[in-house]
Amino acid sequence: MNRIFRTNLIDFTGILLIAFLLFVLSFGSGFGNPFELPPSVLNLNTIFLSILIEAMPFVLIGVLIAGSIQIFVTEEHIQRLIPKNKILAVIMSCVVGALFPACECGIVPIVRRLISKGVPIYAAMGFMLTGPLINPIVIASTYMAFGNDIQIAGLRMGLGFLIAVVVALIVSFVFKGTQFKNATHLLHTTTPKKNQSFTNKFWSMLTHSIDEFFDMAKFLILGAFLAAFVQTYMPAKALLEAGSGPISSLLVMMGLAYVLSLCSEADAFIGASFSSIFPTTSILGFLIFGPMIDLKNTLMMLSVFRVKFVMGMLALVASTVFITLMLVQSIL
Amino acid sequence: MTFHFQQAFRAFILLAFTVLIIKLHMTGEITKLINPKYEGLSKTAAIIFLILFFIQITRIWSTKKTSSHSCNHDHEGSNCGHHHDHGNTPFSSKKFISYAIIVFPLLTGFFLPPKVLDSSIADKKGGMAILANKKQKASEESTETGEFDSSDPWLEEQPLTGENSTGETSFIEDNAIPDLEYKNLMSKEEYDQLIQHLSQTDRIVMDDTVFATYYDEMSYDLEKYKGKEIELTGFAYKEEGLEQDQLVLSRFLITHCVADASVIGFLSEIPGAANIEEDTWISATGVLDVTTFNGVELPIIKVTKWNIVDEPKEPYLYPISIKIL
Repeated sequence: MNRIFRTNLIDFTGILLIAFLLFVLSFGSGFGNPFELPPSVLNLNTIFLSILIEAMPFVLIGVLIAGSIQIFVTEEHIQRLIPKNKILAVIMSCVVGALFPACECGIVPIVRRLISKGVPIYAAMGFMLTGPLINPIVIASTYMAFGNDIQIAGLRMGLGFLIAVVVALIVSFVFKGTQFKNATHLLHTTTPKKNQSFTNKFWSMLTHSIDEFFDMAKFLILGAFLAAFVQTYMPAKALLEAGSGPISSLLVMMGLAYVLSLCSEADAFIGASFSSIFPTTSILGFLIFGPMIDLKNTLMMLSVFRVKFVMGMLALVASTVFITLMLVQSIL
Repeated sequence: MTFHFQQAFRAFILLAFTVLIIKLHMTGEITKLINPKYEGLSKTAAIIFLILFFIQITRIWSTKKTSSHSCNHDHEGSNCGHHHDHGNTPFSSKKFISYAIIVFPLLTGFFLPPKVLDSSIADKKGGMAILANKKQKASEESTETGEFDSSDPWLEEQPLTGENSTGETSFIEDNAIPDLEYKNLMSKEEYDQLIQHLSQTDRIVMDDTVFATYYDEMSYDLEKYKGKEIELTGFAYKEEGLEQDQLVLSRFLITHCVADASVIGFLSEIPGAANIEEDTWISATGVLDVTTFNGVELPIIKVTKWNIVDEPKEPYLYPISIKIL
């Protein structure tokens, strides 16, 4: 009896929600521009929504993968697979990241889940840095955007991999533990109950994914909004004038990559449009630094990690990219 | 039975995201946000949201016994190996802010019309500085003159040896999302034919599919196309430093979403350009010539015939992708 009541109640609530939404919607249509907003605000809103709409599928896939890791992967799996040797572990994680076709919106929930399953922080960072940067789609679009020149694409991948390994190694010496915001919870990392049925596991994977989505969504939205704001109101021209020497131009391009928060699969054309204002190393700075860490990504990391750690990573990645590219420039 | 308001609200948000994406697709506004190539992906997102909504509604009501704490494990032996908000903790002002943030794009998505990017964005993206410099690279590559600051060792090592004009080029893009309806998808042969056609024809018609490709191709060898007739549509973009009778007929090239739009366009000499307002869409025919802007060579169209047109249904350009398989 109670059960029947409960099932009907759920149906009823669902229908009520749908009806309410349709009701709200019926007010919304045909408004045009109700508040006489200036065009720049509409531009801002359009760019903001487009980043979100584009990122949503990847975030959802990310949280679903994270949900699956939570439910189906055990700590024993992780311990068996990750080499004990730090250097080996870092290199392995970077290779796995390179093979794994992730994008920076979807990777943060996955990384969080991996760490809570016992993946060491340095290996997780290696994975996080190479995941979005190195994958077939990025190689193809970079190749295409730079006039079918494989050299930029090759350098982007090669140097990117090297930088990721270096950063992950430094992380392994500097940072200990999980660096999660709420470290106390960590005492209870679970092993999924063996006696649970598959359906149960699958169901809880989905509910986990929902919670994960709500955790991530607010940071993604904030990041997307900030990035859209910068695009609408910050003139790139001012930046272009600021960067004249090799050092300042590299800094300008890295800064641009950071604030624009473009998807690694789509930043190559923008990068290419700067390719003769600035030397190649600056363009590489744009192409390598952006996918590794950017404004949107920083905010998403803040949802998981301590502020100190996120800032440390930001400084570490930025300085490693900078130093590596300056070295490359002096060699060339 | 307990009613969980937050769980209900979360269900509502998931549903609202589903409906927002469906609405954008139904009204066609989605093309103002993302490259149509990725429409399938965004539809997938709508489906996932809907599934999550149906799962979420089961969590709205709970009986005391099966506490709706969603981790499927007994609470004595272990805790969730993770720590996030399950939506059951009491409502606080901090939570209000996070829900407000999540609701914000839903409100603007439903109530504000998406706008086609305009010349103010072209300006923010660098305007002529970008257009002119793109040409600089091109001319440096094709002529190998030391006229420009050639701080780019890679381009010097690899002067373009006419590879592009002989049709050796290949635009390769991974077809992660196969969509045969997508008109910018073509085989390698078709693409080569396009390039071939460009170098032979005397009258270049810049339709949306080929605009970006032709634009790039022409920038490699300006002299080759000098004197040819060209026909194109674009919006008017003006900038300080242009002559009275000049404006840029511009378009935006979208790889993924409008956030990664890059501006491309032709400097044009139009009699009476001073009276044309920015963002006016113009269809023009003219003759290609070469000029210098800030000491950089770039093509200029001497417009002979033009008229104002409505904003096209698809105002953006998308890069061509080549089928590999």
